[in-house]
Amino acid sequence: MSEEHLDTRLLAELTEQSQDLNSDAVRITREALAEYGQQSEPARRWWQRGGAVAALAGGAALLGVSRAAAASSDDVMALQTAASIENLAVSVYTTAAGLSFIKDGNKTVAAFIAKTTAQHQAHAQAFNAATTQAGGKAQTAPDPKYAAVVKQMLPSIKGPGDVVSLAITLEDVAAQTYTEYTSKVSDAALRKLFASVAPVEAQHRSTLLAVQALLAGNDASLIAIPTDAAKLPAAAGSVGFPDAFYPVKNASPISEGAVQ
Amino acid sequence: MSAGNGGWELPISEGELSRLTRELDEAHQEYLPRMHAAAAELTEELRDTQPTLAGVERLRMGSRRGFLLGAGGVAAAMALAACSSSSSTSKSQGATPSGTAMSSPPSASTGSLYTGDLQVVALATALENQAVGAYGAALAAAKAGKLGTVPAAVGTFATTAMAQHTDHAKAWNAVLTGAGKPAITNVPLSNQPATLKALGAATSAGAVAQLALELENQAAQTYLFATYNVSSAGGIATAASIAPVEAMHAAILNFVLGQYPVPDDFLPVDKAASPTLLTV
Repeated sequence: MSEEHLDTRLLAELTEQSQDLNSDAVRITREALAEYGQQSEPARRWWQRGGAVAALAGGAALLGVSRAAAASSDDVMALQTAASIENLAVSVYTTAAGLSFIKDGNKTVAAFIAKTTAQHQAHAQAFNAATTQAGGKAQTAPDPKYAAVVKQMLPSIKGPGDVVSLAITLEDVAAQTYTEYTSKVSDAALRKLFASVAPVEAQHRSTLLAVQALLAGNDASLIAIPTDAAKLPAAAGSVGFPDAFYPVKNASPISEGAVQ
Repeated sequence: MSAGNGGWELPISEGELSRLTRELDEAHQEYLPRMHAAAAELTEELRDTQPTLAGVERLRMGSRRGFLLGAGGVAAAMALAACSSSSSTSKSQGATPSGTAMSSPPSASTGSLYTGDLQVVALATALENQAVGAYGAALAAAKAGKLGTVPAAVGTFATTAMAQHTDHAKAWNAVLTGAGKPAITNVPLSNQPATLKALGAATSAGAVAQLALELENQAAQTYLFATYNVSSAGGIATAASIAPVEAMHAAILNFVLGQYPVPDDFLPVDKAASPTLLTV
């Protein structure tokens, strides 16, 4: 978006509204985490999933199984890997925000990066809170596999398009990983946590895909909030959601970012 | 999509349309087998598992709370319709897919054709059909020139999103039929009259996009709620794979509407649909 098209007042209002909504969502998630800390459910290996989770949880509650016993080691590793992906995302976005062509470039892209960084920080905190509540160690390091990928790509980043491309990769990995983990973890509260974060990463990716298309089409002026919808190219309406079902083939294995 | 002189012109070139169609088809070829496998797994589980009404009840009660907390817009109107007129609307909407009128009350918890996890599957199917119908109606209205000039991006959005919702409905219906239940090919939801009314009243692409945003948010949040309230592993996996897609639809709609595309740190559930909306 060109600077003259930026309505900073509206952006501030939207940001405030967004923060109000976020506070509600964060509260809900905290409640879920508190519930997770109190809830009792027998530990299950991923390959032992049965069809009566609710009944098992209820039975475990009656038996007074401890929280530490409820979360399997696989659950803890999944949470740690998720936190490592978030840590990497925060690091990448923070680095990107300092690049001259981002800092002094499109204001909406810069605002998106700032907001997205904060959202990934919130995700990392939520995953680490769940980890420690489950008796595990918080993960403060970045995902090693993708940290190496980022390190390799950094020298080739020359403009906003390169940053967007890298961010798309990271957001997709995060979304795929959490989508996969939602159906793998043994605890309903953890399913809720992963399932509430995966769509947000998918939305980041969706937005970035649209931004990428606009940059590629020399329509950077349309990267604005509000945008001029009438001028958006047709492809901008569909490029942001390429799959009818979110894939999981690139989901990270749970051991990838686990604390050693 | 554009409406000029009361007509409708394809907003993209034939070549681009062919390319998009090819890519969409390739995506289907890649991912539909996995969905079929998940659906088969879910069907098998549902055959073997007694309905866990507790989970559905949690969804119902949680959603009711969400409706009460929700503010304004079509969602609120839909919730009010669901709360106040479910009995009357069920008489007009409560038909089985074969067209047989339901003689039992429309309550989702008593006398429903679909119980336990299948009730959530039925709700999901109905929501997908509702979205398909809404986008279809919007495209028809645009073609008839009733929405004024419709941005090209909105046209491709509606076409693509409709196709994906159709795929979602097929996946859920495969589960229903696999479990020996009738497929749901209509919209047996008590809020459907309100939705149709809102669609009929829309005179601009923006109004339609706002309504679509409400439907997408409702769908995404319903699937989120389902992931931790259904007991079937296949059901959880399927809901988990669709929720992000509906959320992506919502992101693009927000962008087109001039709103921030990722408003929440964590997807909430205050707009999740309740099984009490079901009229079958």
